[in-house]
Amino acid sequence: MIDRKIKVLMAIPGFDGHWRGAVVVTRALRDAGMEVVYMGQQQPDAIAKTALDEDVDIVGLSIYAAGHLRLIKKVLDEMKGKKIDDIPMVVGGVIPQPDIPKLKKIGVGEIFPPGSPLEKIVDYIKTNALKSR
Amino acid sequence: MFDKKKIEELKKKEQDWFEKTKDVRGADKNVLSGSGIPLKRIYSPADVKDLDYEKDLNFPGNAPYTRGIYPTMYRGRDWTIRQFTGYNTPEETNERFKYEHEMGQTGFSIAFDAVTESGIDSTDPRAIDDIGTGGVHVDYLGDIEAMFNGLPIDKVSTAVIATPWTACPISAMYFVLAQQRGLSLKTLDGTTQNDLLLFTCCCHLMDLIPPSDLIRLSVDHIEWCSQNVPKWHPVSIASYNYRENGINAYQEIGLMLAVAVAYIEEELKRDRLTIDDFAPSMTFHMSSHNDFFEEVAKFRAARRMWYKLITERYKAKNPNSAVFKFHVQTAGSTLVYQQPLNNSVRVSYQVLAAALGGVQSMHATSYDEPICLPTEQSVLLSIRTQQIAQNDCKITNVADPLGGSYYVEWLTDELEKLAWEYLQEIEAKGGLVKCIESGWVHQQFAKAMAEQANAVESGKEPVVGRNCFTMDKEPYDVPIFYPEPEDTAKIQKNKIAKLKKERSSIKVQSSLDELKKVTEAGDNVMPSVLEAVKSGATLGEVCGIWRDIYGIWKIPFSG
Repeated sequence: MIDRKIKVLMAIPGFDGHWRGAVVVTRALRDAGMEVVYMGQQQPDAIAKTALDEDVDIVGLSIYAAGHLRLIKKVLDEMKGKKIDDIPMVVGGVIPQPDIPKLKKIGVGEIFPPGSPLEKIVDYIKTNALKSR
Repeated sequence: MFDKKKIEELKKKEQDWFEKTKDVRGADKNVLSGSGIPLKRIYSPADVKDLDYEKDLNFPGNAPYTRGIYPTMYRGRDWTIRQFTGYNTPEETNERFKYEHEMGQTGFSIAFDAVTESGIDSTDPRAIDDIGTGGVHVDYLGDIEAMFNGLPIDKVSTAVIATPWTACPISAMYFVLAQQRGLSLKTLDGTTQNDLLLFTCCCHLMDLIPPSDLIRLSVDHIEWCSQNVPKWHPVSIASYNYRENGINAYQEIGLMLAVAVAYIEEELKRDRLTIDDFAPSMTFHMSSHNDFFEEVAKFRAARRMWYKLITERYKAKNPNSAVFKFHVQTAGSTLVYQQPLNNSVRVSYQVLAAALGGVQSMHATSYDEPICLPTEQSVLLSIRTQQIAQNDCKITNVADPLGGSYYVEWLTDELEKLAWEYLQEIEAKGGLVKCIESGWVHQQFAKAMAEQANAVESGKEPVVGRNCFTMDKEPYDVPIFYPEPEDTAKIQKNKIAKLKKERSSIKVQSSLDELKKVTEAGDNVMPSVLEAVKSGATLGEVCGIWRDIYGIWKIPFSG
């Protein structure tokens, strides 16, 4: 189990198609030796289903549009429904500061706003993905 | 322009000067332009010795238009101030438009939400959290009527920032609105984005039809508008958005021209119009990015290249066909989350570069874009930024003020060379549509994004507030704007319910049947789209016809 590469699911929930953050982080994680399932934009139920099917260690969501509070909650609810809410989640994107504690409260592990150092994101994912095993 | 003998002498003197000063501090520094072109310490007449004033530059308003497209440039008319705007319902966006108009904005530009861009109605259960968030939501004609209620669309032009297929019904709604107000389509001024790459490769959409079918609808729109709404610009090739995906200045021009070529070829192969029938209606939407002088050179190079492309390859005779008209959006991707007020300074420099580059219309990005949708206050600052450039700074006094700078002229030539090469690379791969379908464009973007992120990460690319001059505590407390997707969805759904009660379902059905028939027959779809929109068909119903015929495209990209 320990030998297996860390497996990350990267998705953009909802309709908004801004992909730059998701792609940049995907490539940084792969450079750091992780396996990334890149889904692009998907609906919350599809994201949870893939997380289950692919048996990922951590879920990463990237979001630019302003519906983040509700969309992220929906993904978490779908994961709960599938009993995989023990898989940690990280979120990146255009998230106003006041919303960061709100997202943490509903179960997001960490939030990385624009301009977060990639190194910090990679380290966080490495540490928390391994913890979840 | 220069005496050959004197240039040779000068070249020698320059070499001597470089040699003599090679140990001075900074002389050994390896300096690159924003797009990676190695730069000397100084440029002289020797670097532009082959420049032919009339052939390569000429006067503004004269081919090849390097120095500007109008003889009087900003003395005749300032560039249009056009902030990209939209959120929540059309009624709320109307309020924002009115505010911008009162503040002296001279053009409108509609930002739609991703649901509208996807040709999906607010009744779709998947859409509830995205309605009105990244832009305004539009379901039917009544929404466009509400958005422009009380606004003088005969005096202020509008840019409809829509995808190739939604461009047809949404522009049609705007045209019907104009007709309802008694305006002639012959005099209606405005633009539809209608760009092929924007939503296939830059921002991805749900349930999009394949690129080879998108281009058909795109060109149907251009074809019909160029014949029926002659002052309308049915396409504005959005190289801004390509650039936002990390590519550099010459790649931006190369891809932009590749899209133009794809559209032109699609129209010409139909054998319905000549190049001069539609090329004058084509416009462009470029980025103004960080490397100030390279951006100015880029705008100048783009004008000259369009002239060459249209006259040399396509043999256009009408001078208007070869005139490169463009809008600029200052680069949102250069803005920084940390110390956000600094962004207004970045935007000002980018506005200046576009102005010195001879722009026709501009959106100055708001400083709070990395944080939230722009507040009323930040939009005001964007409008004022442009007004200060137009009024206080005197930069509009003289056309192409950087023309003749050895550096800028040399850089204009370099960018042109590299952009032609990039265009050739795309054409060698079978042209733009093939490059979209194969995922090549996505890979180009993904590679560029990752490289840029790594350059910032390593500190190679300094960004104030992000990797240098950082602070432990955010110094500025900026207001945040929140749209209300749930309320918007509810309001829009109620409107659709009311519409469906009031409209004649027989008329709607027959107009949609007609659209299906026309689409399958390969005729221009615009007349039947107009009829469908008038009958009360929704955006989702119109796009649904095309989705049924063409199917849904799977984006060829997996990270």
